[in-house]
Amino acid sequence: MSDRVLPVPDESSAPYWAACAEHVLKLPRCSNCRKFTLPPDVTCPNCHCLDPNFTYEKVPGRFTVRTWTIIRHSFIKGFDLPFLLVDVQLDVQPNVRMIGRLIDGADAPLKIGDAVEVTFDDLAPGVAVPAFSKAASS
Amino acid sequence: MSRRFGAHNKIAIVGYAHSTALRRAIEPLGSVALRTAAAAIKDSGLTVDQIDGFASSAMLPTSGAHQSVDGLSSVSSNWLAQHLAASPSYVVGFQGHGQLTSSLTLAVNALASGAADYMLLHRALHNPAVGKYNDNPMKLARGAQQWTAPQGFFGALPAIAMVYNEYCQRYGATREAMARVVVEARNNGAKLPWSHWYGKPITAQEYMAEPIIVDPMCRLDCDIPVQAVGVFILTTAERAKDLPNKPVYVSGYANGYPEQHRLALHWTLDEMQESGQALAKRLWVSAGMGPEAIQLAQVYDAFSPFVYIWLEALGFCPIGEAHRFVLDGGIDSSQPGSIAALSGGGAIGSGRLHGLPQLLECYLQLSGRAGERQRAVTNAVFSYSAPYFGGAAILTNDPAGAVR
Repeated sequence: MSDRVLPVPDESSAPYWAACAEHVLKLPRCSNCRKFTLPPDVTCPNCHCLDPNFTYEKVPGRFTVRTWTIIRHSFIKGFDLPFLLVDVQLDVQPNVRMIGRLIDGADAPLKIGDAVEVTFDDLAPGVAVPAFSKAASS
Repeated sequence: MSRRFGAHNKIAIVGYAHSTALRRAIEPLGSVALRTAAAAIKDSGLTVDQIDGFASSAMLPTSGAHQSVDGLSSVSSNWLAQHLAASPSYVVGFQGHGQLTSSLTLAVNALASGAADYMLLHRALHNPAVGKYNDNPMKLARGAQQWTAPQGFFGALPAIAMVYNEYCQRYGATREAMARVVVEARNNGAKLPWSHWYGKPITAQEYMAEPIIVDPMCRLDCDIPVQAVGVFILTTAERAKDLPNKPVYVSGYANGYPEQHRLALHWTLDEMQESGQALAKRLWVSAGMGPEAIQLAQVYDAFSPFVYIWLEALGFCPIGEAHRFVLDGGIDSSQPGSIAALSGGGAIGSGRLHGLPQLLECYLQLSGRAGERQRAVTNAVFSYSAPYFGGAAILTNDPAGAVR
């Protein structure tokens, strides 16, 4: 079992973490404009409707690398150092950005625009967090 | 607002005081704040009973796992006014990032509206006597942190590192260029007796030899947490005429606000550039001048890449060119014609003071109180934080100056 920080699901995030546990990335989707967002907010950040009734739905397609950093010193404990963090945007809706570990290793060759796919770090029984891996064709 | 500031050059800073920047607290922050406030009031030629307004922003005494206690590890305006035994008619605070620039504008607006006659603006920063400023023992991530910490994204340092890496990838900026920024800050800070880094300049070789901790940043790219307090006294231009120090007038200001919904501390280069340019446009209109009228620019530098962001946003060089501007000597305080962007040491050369070194240096230069480093300055700009939650203000010692 990992020594990493574990997420604590709450009312707004329980479906997200339940899907992650099954290695599926589901993001909040506005019932009004059908756009994805992360994290869920009181209103929809895309259409600004007051009652977005977010549903968690499987995210289609891949992500694109916008930038990255290699963490050689971490202020939170439990990570094997060094590791690489990527800041990625969702191809089908580029204003959705996520940050996660790139599992290919800290010295993986990387450039802006590289394609990545979602993968998961299993941290504990029933707890997995999203991470990324370089897509086969990139 | 798309017009000149309504109280253009009608409000002035008339005095100041600051404490020494200590690496760690040796007494309650409130004690330091009280002494500093008393010194600033005296410096302004005033007495406590004349101070009828207080403005500040107390947020973020530290990150990490510390509890904030008013008077011990943070100082609110209410606490300060009460413990000074003042009788204020107006106390106001700003909640959120952009603490110093936003609370400065609260003080200015209070005077412009007549809510107060003499405003005391303060900022107090705490670093605990024991424990680490940043290290966070969390094992469980709740609320906003559940979306970031379990993934390994732990805060401001990786946030700015990713912005800076995108900048380097996009524009070809090198560590050699950033060495110029950091050495400039540290060399200037080394000459300030109150600075944490007094007497401790560094060389470009030392910067280049420093190990990378979060690519492409090393420890020297980050300001160091300190305990310190800065206080400024402001009043109307009319009242300033009767006070001992040369007034420094506020020509205009602009604050920035986030537009994109993001994960906590997920900063992006695009948004910094876009919001920075939008902020600068409002700033120059507000002040009735442009960057060509500025002789001194004190730009925020909690993390060294902010210097590039602000130099470009404020129009001292084109987008993507700040690293070349720096290499060409554009910020060197040793050159009389430069904008001397870190002549006051900045945060990297003084300590984590959240914009105080920038505002202080603008005030000292414009009031003719900068001593050996005095420059010929009529108009100055200072900026704080990231453009989309910080801000900038234009200060002048020539209130009758040409307005375009």
